[in-house]
Parts: sequence; structure tokens; C-alpha cells
Amino acid sequence: MSAGGTGPPRPRRYRGTPWLVLQIVLTGSLLLLLLLPIYALFTYAPLSQILDAATNPAVDASIWFTLYASGLTVLAAVILAIPAGYLLARRRFPGRSVVESAIALPIAVPHLMVGLGLFLVFALPGTPLYRFANSIGFPVYYTIWGVVLVMAVVSLPYTVLAAELSFRSVDARVLEAARSLGAGPANAFLTVSFPLALRGIVAGLLLTWARAVSEVGGILIIAYEVLPGGPYQGPVTSTISVLVYNLFQAGDLEGAAAVSSVFLLIAFAIFLAVRLGERSGWLPWRRGDVGP
Amino acid sequence: MAPVAKGGRRAVSAWSVEGLASHLEHFRLGPIDLALTPGEVVAVLGSSGAGKTTLLRSLAGFLPADAGRIVRDGTDVTDRPPEKRGLGYVPQGLGLFPHRTVERNVSYPLDVRGRTDAPARSRELLERFGLLPLARRYPARLSGGELQRVALARALAAEPELVLWDEPWQALDVDARHTLGEVIDELRESASVPVVLVTHDPGLAFSHADSLLVLRAGRPLYVGAPMSLLDAPVDAFTARFVGYENVYDRSILDAAPPGSFAAWLAARAGPGGVAVSRPAVRATPVTPAAWDGIVRSARPTPEGLVLTLRVGGLDLSARTPPPVTTPLPTVGERVSFVIEEMNVRPLGAGPALAGGAR
Repeated sequence: MSAGGTGPPRPRRYRGTPWLVLQIVLTGSLLLLLLLPIYALFTYAPLSQILDAATNPAVDASIWFTLYASGLTVLAAVILAIPAGYLLARRRFPGRSVVESAIALPIAVPHLMVGLGLFLVFALPGTPLYRFANSIGFPVYYTIWGVVLVMAVVSLPYTVLAAELSFRSVDARVLEAARSLGAGPANAFLTVSFPLALRGIVAGLLLTWARAVSEVGGILIIAYEVLPGGPYQGPVTSTISVLVYNLFQAGDLEGAAAVSSVFLLIAFAIFLAVRLGERSGWLPWRRGDVGP
Repeated sequence: MAPVAKGGRRAVSAWSVEGLASHLEHFRLGPIDLALTPGEVVAVLGSSGAGKTTLLRSLAGFLPADAGRIVRDGTDVTDRPPEKRGLGYVPQGLGLFPHRTVERNVSYPLDVRGRTDAPARSRELLERFGLLPLARRYPARLSGGELQRVALARALAAEPELVLWDEPWQALDVDARHTLGEVIDELRESASVPVVLVTHDPGLAFSHADSLLVLRAGRPLYVGAPMSLLDAPVDAFTARFVGYENVYDRSILDAAPPGSFAAWLAARAGPGGVAVSRPAVRATPVTPAAWDGIVRSARPTPEGLVLTLRVGGLDLSARTPPPVTTPLPTVGERVSFVIEEMNVRPLGAGPALAGGAR
């Protein structure tokens, strides 16, 4: 295998080098493409203006509202999407692949159209679901419920897909061991399936959360402004994405960049906290993994 | 391993499996009859796809029984769910919980039962199997032999009345394979419960099992003591399985010309053919009754050379006698050998298989 004394290794290096250079150039370009806009957001507005934005009551209200609504969306994902993922992973039933495709559909449909569809179903006075939602105290148009509804439709599929894959990758033999050692079906789910799938599920929930806070298109149609009502009793506000969109539309580039910086710092802090929690073993879902 | 500490054990169980039949998709298992006495080790043998794992999963309650009964001390447990059968089931790959430490793996059966003595009891088991230093490690950081001991300690923590152990060393290292025999002995001595051990290695079965169940295409081919299977292999498949190197089908032998080696074998063959253990070769004939053949290949082993001879139209596996003779036979050389009548086993046809070529 070794080149020995006869075959000079130079030709091999000559063939390998351009390929390596190409890989570095391509990956570097991608990194640049991904990081430049974020760099621009943080550097466009002066630090003083970022601090101003961070202490501005309207901006704070918008940030809190966005975290609140996206938090409710993640809760909806826990309640609705994880069981759906489990069902798809563990049960065979006719039309399962149709259900799978239908659940993934909102990822592919432009979100303005998702918003329009929800508007036609929930916000057009006279439709049955409009009357139903209002009668049970969940009005959708210009409310937090509308925001959560849009966020849920566009972001829950990520948790469903992640949970399905995670549950499916749990070794059936480990589950059978748990059953034979005395755990009933529910107990085996809670002590084995769920903990083993949790890491992937959490990754799905993070994606769901990230997708929810970044949603604009559907929210522009259903809840361009959010009026107090239901679980939200704060001032009239909008999600952070809509706020930035409005600032940009009004020509306030520095203001838009400053608000964006504040929100990005919060988002990064949340991601970082989760990662550090995993590393330290304080969060339970990576226990037992091999690796640093 | 620490010496066995008995103490306070309950009355041990006897199990009987009566005409058990089950199926997994298109594969049909059974009917299987087995009687398991306390402390007995039954090895289930068979090539892959024979139904070994299906039998174990059916005993464990993961596959519903289509017919027959599983009885424990007179109680029918056929329809009980897996968690209510009183089993220690070790699936293929051991089925340890990767997200629990060694200690929490071992205490799992006690935890799910809400036992208050779980920490003390699991410590006791960890100590007995030399696992205390590893108590806080996760399974991903253990060697194959260590993993096996964890699996055994965990199975015993369930205080099982029957241990089912599937393909013990599959995907485990050589060290694990070596210590498995000790693990089984430990199991037999410490918990006097029956053990059903699925394996595809006849070596382990012969050295550690009290009785054998040979499966083929889901049906029992043989149930009984290991030695009788060696003395009288039930068919060509079983003969190869238990280690006979020279197995000849009836059809090959019937066409042999009179006076040939093949005709000599044909006269001793059963309906399924004949099996011959490896004869020792000599450079020169020692008796007039010796046969001779040409060496086609020679493979050195710790016990001497294993030779493939061409004898008439047949290939025959033979060996040099211990101690190794000098000079050793070489390829192309003509050597002679004697086959004792007691080393020739007639073979049955085996049971007719449902669906023909399965």
C-alpha cells in the first residue's frame, strides 16, 4: 500500500489538492453567505441604538409577545405533534403515506398562501369555523390565537417528522427487553421509547420554535396587528418579524437592524443554553451518548 | 466472578410448552413441545431463519400463540402479556438501555415494580458480577464481556422464573464469547430457573446445555440430550450442524460402482445418507482394510493437519493423528486411512417439510 522508494507520491498529491481546495472554497463561500447578513444586522446600527431598541417598551412588548406566541406553538407541538409522530412511527394503517405527505405539505406551500387559506377558513365571517372559534372564545382575526394558528400550521410538521424518525430509530429489542422485565406498555414508553427518542424530538421542537418566530407571510394576513384578548392582555403589538418589516417599510433601516440584533441575541442565547445543557448532562436527552 | 450467594429464594418453577404454534408474517413456528425443569439449560439450535428467535419471542409473549399452551407450575400463562410472565428475556444484542447507567440498567426491573429495596438489591447484583466499578458508566463505554454481565445481572434483578437468552455473542467481541460459558454456568448455579438459550454455535450448546432443541423451518427436528444427537444425527442438516465434516446424500452414494469407497458407505447409509467423522491418515497402509486417497489440500490447526482427500469420486475430510506425524503429508500425495464402523452414522430423512423447499 505504501509508495515505497520507487513510486513518487507527488502525482497523488497533485490529483488530491485541487479537490481539497474546491471543497474549502465551496464551504467557505457557503459560510460567508450564511454569516454575512447576520454580521450586517449586528453592525449596521450603532451600539447605542441597539441598546435603545432593547429598552424600548414597544420593542419589548413585541419580543415578549413573539416569545409567548411561539412558546404556545411549541406547547401545541408537544401536545399534537409528538403523538402524531409516534403514531406514524409505530402503527401501520391504510393511507399512512398519504397522511405523512399531508403533514409535510405546509412546509412546501408558500406561507402567504397558508395564511390566505386560514383566513378563508377561520376569519371570514359566516364560515362555520369562524362562528365556532368565536363561540368557544378563540377568535382568530387580529388575535394571539391567529398568530399561534399560523405558527402551528407552518411549524408543527417539523416536530412530527423529527418525532417519527426518532421513535422509529428506537431499537425494538430494547423495548421488548423492557416489557419482559416487567414494564407495561405505558411504562415502557415513558422509561425507554420516549427518553431514547427525546434528543431527536427536542431537535424537532427547536426547529418548530425557530420556524414559528421567523414566520411573516401568514401572520401578515391573519394578525398583522395583535389586539389584547384571550391569554394576551398586553398593549396592541405585532410579532417581531412584522415589526421589523414595518420599520423597513417606513424606511427606518437602523431601527430595523437594531431590533433584529436584539432579537437575534435572544434567539442565540436560547440555542446556546440548550446546547450547553445537553453537553453538561443537565438536560437528559443525550445521556449515554458516546463522544465528548 | 464472586461465589454464588443464595439465600431467601422462592420455590423454583417448572415450565412446560405444549404444542405451541405461532407465526410471524408468513413464517410458521411449531408445534413445539418442551419440558423445562429448574436449573435446566436448553439450547435451541438451527440455521438462520429456522425460527429460533421466533420461538423465544413467542415464549416471551411478543407473538400470540396460534395453538398450544405455555404452563408454569400448573398455571396457563399463554395469554399473559410479556411483563406478567416472570421472565428474564435477553434479546439479540442484549437490549441494554443506552440512556441508563449500568446501575440503572440493573435496577430497572425493580424500579418499574416500585420496589423500595431497588438500590440495595441492584448493588448486591452489581457486586456479585464484578460490576461495581462500572456502576456509573453507560453501556456504550463497556466491553462485550462487561455488557453480557450487565444483561445477566439485569435479567436476574427481575427475579425471573425462566431466562430466555437470544444469540448471546452476536456482535460481541471474542472476549465476550469466551466468558459466555461462565455467564451461563453462573446463571445455572445462582438462579435455579430454566434457561432457554438460542444459539447458532454448536460448541456452546454441547458444552453448556442439558438438552438440545434443533429447529428447521420452524419445526422441531430433535429434542433431547446432546450426546444422542452426536451419536445419531437425525438428518444431513443436523449432522453438518453438530460438526460432521463428511456428510453424503443417499443420491450420491446410490450410483457408486461396486467395491468402491462410495459403495462401502452406501451399504451403511440410512434413508438420508451417511455421516462420517474425520478419519486419521497414515503414510502407509496398516491393515488390508485401509482405503486410500489423494491429498487435495492441507490446513494446519492446533490439533494437527486437516486434509481434504479425493477418494474415488468423493471428497473426504481427514486429519493427521495426534501427535503430528513427520513428515507431514503434502498435496498430491497418496495416503491411506481406516474408517471404523462406529464412526459411520446412518442418517434419517428428517421430517417432511411443509411447503417443500423451505
